[in-house]
Amino acid sequence: MKFGIFYEISVPRPWNRETERTVYDNCIEQVKLADELGFHSVFAVEHHFLEEYSHCSAPELFLTACAMVTKNIRVGHGIVICVPEFNHPIKIAERTAVLDILSHGRLDVGTGRSATWTELGGFRANPDETKKTWDEFVHCLPKMWTQERYSYQGRSWSMPARCIVPKPYQKPHPPLWVAVTSPGTEIDAAERGMGSLGLTFGGFKEQEDKVKNYRRIIRNCEPVGSFVNEKVASVNFLYCHEDDAEGIKVGHRLTGTFNYLAAQLLAAREAYPTKSYPTLGLLPSLRQEASGPGDESGAPEGIAMGNPARIVREMKKWESTGVDQVNFLLNALETIPQEQVLNSLRLFAKEVMPHFKTADDHAAAAAGGR
Amino acid sequence: MPPRFGTLDLAKWAESVPTINGFGTEKWILKGAQVLEIHMEITDELADALIPRTMHPSIPQYGIFNVTHYPDSPVGAFSIAEVRIAGRAGVRPRAHVLRSIVDSEAARKELAARWGFPVHPGKVTLEQRHDRVVGRASIDGKSVLHIESLDRDAIGGNDVQWIASMHLARNKQDGKLGLVQVDPDFVFSKAERGRPVVVHLDNDAFRANGYLKVNNPISASFATCDVTLPKIRYVCNPELPAMQGTTKIAA
Repeated sequence: MKFGIFYEISVPRPWNRETERTVYDNCIEQVKLADELGFHSVFAVEHHFLEEYSHCSAPELFLTACAMVTKNIRVGHGIVICVPEFNHPIKIAERTAVLDILSHGRLDVGTGRSATWTELGGFRANPDETKKTWDEFVHCLPKMWTQERYSYQGRSWSMPARCIVPKPYQKPHPPLWVAVTSPGTEIDAAERGMGSLGLTFGGFKEQEDKVKNYRRIIRNCEPVGSFVNEKVASVNFLYCHEDDAEGIKVGHRLTGTFNYLAAQLLAAREAYPTKSYPTLGLLPSLRQEASGPGDESGAPEGIAMGNPARIVREMKKWESTGVDQVNFLLNALETIPQEQVLNSLRLFAKEVMPHFKTADDHAAAAAGGR
Repeated sequence: MPPRFGTLDLAKWAESVPTINGFGTEKWILKGAQVLEIHMEITDELADALIPRTMHPSIPQYGIFNVTHYPDSPVGAFSIAEVRIAGRAGVRPRAHVLRSIVDSEAARKELAARWGFPVHPGKVTLEQRHDRVVGRASIDGKSVLHIESLDRDAIGGNDVQWIASMHLARNKQDGKLGLVQVDPDFVFSKAERGRPVVVHLDNDAFRANGYLKVNNPISASFATCDVTLPKIRYVCNPELPAMQGTTKIAA
């Protein structure tokens, strides 16, 4: 199993030029350290207008900065919003290709459609249409990356034949993912041969069933891209500390702050009745998990908080569900001082990571033994 | 914690709140209700003054304009028009009721005494026309609210999510002010979504004092449903954030 980090980039009030710069600088410092420690990837969200909760409205710039100061860690959109009012598909193809070149082929492209009225209403996007435009975009993107000349006449957008340049560094193109929040979206991912970038949990048994279903369906998929990206990732919180009680206490501060921030957002479903959004999306699910039932220590099931031994146990449970990767949120509103965040990363890398071998590690070990 | 909380002038607001006969209310099941609900974004900075400190604003803030006709209740048929300000109590979506205009004296008496609704007498009408649904309220012959749903499309009842209410009431048993949560249950038999229009809104009639400025339209919904006005489950201290000042009354 692989481990990554995941950014919302929340910024505490009052805002001034220094607070936002400091938060971004802290994130970049964490990414540099994560790269040195052997974390597999860094994902960044695309959110707009979500004051305090997420000031990550230009993830392609943040990820470019990450790529420029790191060597190995993969950089991922988690996700880019595939709704024409937010992003024109040509621009998505161009921007991602440039980022893939600058990162020397380290880009993953998560796709999604936004789940809040705060954002959809802000861009005057129709919530009924977002699933349809996402589907259209993900079918177009690989062709825009791989065909020398591309033309398209579709439902939500069209273009005459043009040469979209540059092309991505990775051949045939970067791996594609889908943000999975609503029930059943993992099926959408599997049917299209895309990775499942899970943003909810709901318990280990449910997760295991979802993963099995995903792997069963993807065997007969019609891939939108030139290859099948059969990967399941999940999101989590991380606060690792030598002292278990301290780790849980600070971990709760992190999850509590995140939950409080997330609650302020206006979910599409709350404001605008539509079958396009059958659930409230990422935020309530994560809230539920982080405050869900735990053991006598007070640590919620499945959340990476506490001492290394506890986190190893929880991650082993994730591994047993068939998840390939866990991506961690490290902070919210800078509620954890930067040095503690860095120490948590260091301790996780030293004490937890060695308990998990990736498929690549196993292959390398097998090759070495021959 | 985020520093944005409601700034409602509690002392002034408390000058005219209903008295509730304790929190041991039994539920009412109201069959065949017709509900018109309009969601409109409202001016954020102003609207903070319309929710108590217990709550913090949603982003963006929105107003809920509602006209409901109950054809049957323990006190007979009645209609109610409400204006609420959506926000959050802790991590839960809740809306603060500014005023409930009710056209039946018997219903006013029961709604105030059982749940603490901030009732006020007035005329309330709900009309289904061929191209729109129209809700109106007036006080002493003067129009105070006129809302419409246009360009209607049928949707599933499961797609509708109406959030629970909170309103200030004084408890007859101890004389204390409390923010009473009422979270009705809806069983839909028919639902539709439309384009929302607030044709007329009298700020003063809903005690908004000019703080309620409607701007960006969101949605209108109109439904026929059975409504359960439940037992009171939670009461909040209006001077404290919900995380710190919530009391559980019933399961």
